Amino acid sequence: MPPRVRVSDLRKQYGAFEAVRGVSFDINDGEIFGLLGPNGAGKTTTIECLLGLIVPDGGTMEICGIDARRHPIQVREKVGAALQTTALQDRITPREALQLFGSFYRNRLPADALLERFSLMPKADSPVDTLSGGQKQRLALALAFVNNPELVFLDEPTAGLDAHSRRELHAEIHAMRRDGHTVLLTTHQLDEAELLCDRIAIINRGRIVATGTPRELVARSTRAQQITFETDQPLPDDVVAAFPGLTYPGGSDRRATLHTNTTGPAVLALVSTLESRGIGLHELHLQKASLEDVFVDLTEAEPAERTT
Amino acid sequence: MNGIWPQLRMSLTLYFRNRMAMLYGYLFPSVFLLAFYVLYRYERVPLVRYMGELLTVTILGGACFGMATTLVSERERGVWRRYRLAPIPTGALVLSTVVARYVLLLTAGLLQIALAMALGMPLPVHPLQLVVAFSLAALAFLGLGLVIAMLADNVPAVQALGQTIFLPMLIIGGVAVPLTSLPDWALHLSAFFPGRYAVEAIQATVNGAGLSTVGFSLVALLLIGVAACAAGAGMFRWDAKQRIATSSGKGWLAVALAGWVSVGLLAQWQGRVIPMELAAERAAIASAAAAPPAAPTPSAPAPGEPANNPSPSSTADASPAGHTVIAAPASTERQTPGASPTTAAQTSTPSGLITPPAAAAAPSTTAPIAPWEKVTIEQVMADLVFDRLPPDAGVVTPIASTAQDPPEETWTDLDVMYNGLQTWAPGRVPDILTRTRNLLFVPAVVDVFQLPMEAHVPLMVYETLERDIDRDVLIRVLYWIAVNPDEGSDAAVDQMAPLGLPNGPSDMQEVRGRLGIYAVKLIGRLTGARPAR
Repeated sequence: MPPRVRVSDLRKQYGAFEAVRGVSFDINDGEIFGLLGPNGAGKTTTIECLLGLIVPDGGTMEICGIDARRHPIQVREKVGAALQTTALQDRITPREALQLFGSFYRNRLPADALLERFSLMPKADSPVDTLSGGQKQRLALALAFVNNPELVFLDEPTAGLDAHSRRELHAEIHAMRRDGHTVLLTTHQLDEAELLCDRIAIINRGRIVATGTPRELVARSTRAQQITFETDQPLPDDVVAAFPGLTYPGGSDRRATLHTNTTGPAVLALVSTLESRGIGLHELHLQKASLEDVFVDLTEAEPAERTT
Repeated sequence: MNGIWPQLRMSLTLYFRNRMAMLYGYLFPSVFLLAFYVLYRYERVPLVRYMGELLTVTILGGACFGMATTLVSERERGVWRRYRLAPIPTGALVLSTVVARYVLLLTAGLLQIALAMALGMPLPVHPLQLVVAFSLAALAFLGLGLVIAMLADNVPAVQALGQTIFLPMLIIGGVAVPLTSLPDWALHLSAFFPGRYAVEAIQATVNGAGLSTVGFSLVALLLIGVAACAAGAGMFRWDAKQRIATSSGKGWLAVALAGWVSVGLLAQWQGRVIPMELAAERAAIASAAAAPPAAPTPSAPAPGEPANNPSPSSTADASPAGHTVIAAPASTERQTPGASPTTAAQTSTPSGLITPPAAAAAPSTTAPIAPWEKVTIEQVMADLVFDRLPPDAGVVTPIASTAQDPPEETWTDLDVMYNGLQTWAPGRVPDILTRTRNLLFVPAVVDVFQLPMEAHVPLMVYETLERDIDRDVLIRVLYWIAVNPDEGSDAAVDQMAPLGLPNGPSDMQEVRGRLGIYAVKLIGRLTGARPAR
């Protein structure tokens, strides 16, 4: 089966600022695909290009077999989306909004079914401006499902929600996968991406810097393992110099972190060096690299690259 | 197009849920109407002459502010961004928004008309044509509202832009201030704004001759409306992030402006800038001024003078012989003495003041009239016979003595008139002849209507004339008016509203007759030939 979404070499420039610089990725049928990146990385621009809200400067986009650049209206027929900074009129009710937006599509789901599914029944006939943040976000999701979409785009779905509402929303997104929907979501929160996504593309400064499952990304990291230890006295300079992957604040600090992808020899070398110098070891932790480490490594390398 | 109808229905539903919108949409037009009703309470038929202005202001407010504010605030909040995710074309949304607003304007207009009729206004003479005129005006202003909404990046910008269009259009655009009170430069400017065309078109269907007489206004509204709607759709912005400065559609603004400019130029080219009644008045003045000095005094025109006076209707009063007819109507074929029984029965008619002229028998004579500047004081004193004027204490052309206090029930009306006279446009025109004639029409009209305050009005007007015009000039002008009561515009008779008077009595000859007598009575006072009681 061909991928649901195929994006290649997507480009968008605002004046001198290149928001998206040659983004390519595929999304397979039935997977939850996450675009992960810091604020301003180009996630929203990418989604808005896919939906035809922004005309890209270059690249190709194919969504559900449709050329999205040529037929944006056809794409919208098949895609449901919940974007940031969208709103509804204050005095409209959830039921009215679902009925109204349903009327724009050829293929639509009944409002009652959506109200039920997104637990909005108690508020079905109250004006939107009386809804809580979580309820508004659930209504936005319900609106994204109003056309029974083949593909769902969620741009920062949990931004600005409290912990409880976030958990509710995560459950909703899990339910989408269970129901076989294909989902593209953007987030700048790693735990969310790790929790929800089958595959992730990390985007930074308009470029995809890594793609894969969360596990693959972590495994692929050059600093897959992290050794954290505490000594009984500050580390002498020559010891610090002997371990290239060592992060040590210096001064009187006694804690240090060593990144390595050869854990065994590294631990052996560290312990024997400290032993030979008479430095006592209080604590030693071995830690697998997290997605956060991968993310930080990939997104922090960029500024240096930019200045050169 | 899919979704237009549900969107239209929802827009209307939401509008009626919004209390502020209801306030602006229905309460304000009603209050405005009541204010006009109170302001012009002396009109014989309430409000009928102001429906063009009232309805235009309603449309203007609803389109320039109401629709633009809604559009921009929804765009700012991201409502349009949400709509854009659905497969609904831009045109469908714009269309349903404009149509929804049109429906609201139409209901507000109907409410105003119903209210006016409840206050005593008759049904507009051409109700169906009124709907057409109203719709075209709505089109023009809704297009304007769309352009404002697309130009403004936020709601305060709508207010600012709206005001810069709303206020000038109200004041110098012929909407709230009648065109006849505007200086020429404002008239030329107003030709570029849709306001005056809207007022004209609507007014013509309420108490005028219908749409057939205002074809140009309809074309102007259509042109402005279509250009503005096209520009509004071309400049459409979904997202508050798209600012107008960087928007690719801003070139469409030229289309909207082209609509306005072409209408303005067309009006200039077709000579439609000066409104008809004003043009008629000026033409009369011009023709009087242009009359050749072939007849040096009214007493000696050459009987066989070629007909070169452009207004041939009423030159019969220039007599060839030594005496002149004053207030000739009773002696001409246009009004038989019997037509005005009071006059005939109780007093000597004005024609009796002076030897009946031979010319009166032949009204078709078209001898040119000498301008008032040719009149001499000697001639005035030689011609006029003051002792046959109707008495000041009589029923015709009464004048109160200065010692006589007006009855208490007339105080308010006199007060309104006194204040009105200070700013009454026809009484302030630069041309002395026209101004004097216009002012003398005031006591003449009051007299014909036999209003309770009639005896006290002449003094007020005389005072104004004596204050503003040099005595000798005034005497010569008054004489000219007395001799030629049919020469010049009668437009002032229909502009009495600011003085708290009903407009135009139907019998103009009677009014002109009184005009002549009041002119002679004032000459009598000024020269001392007929002192005040």
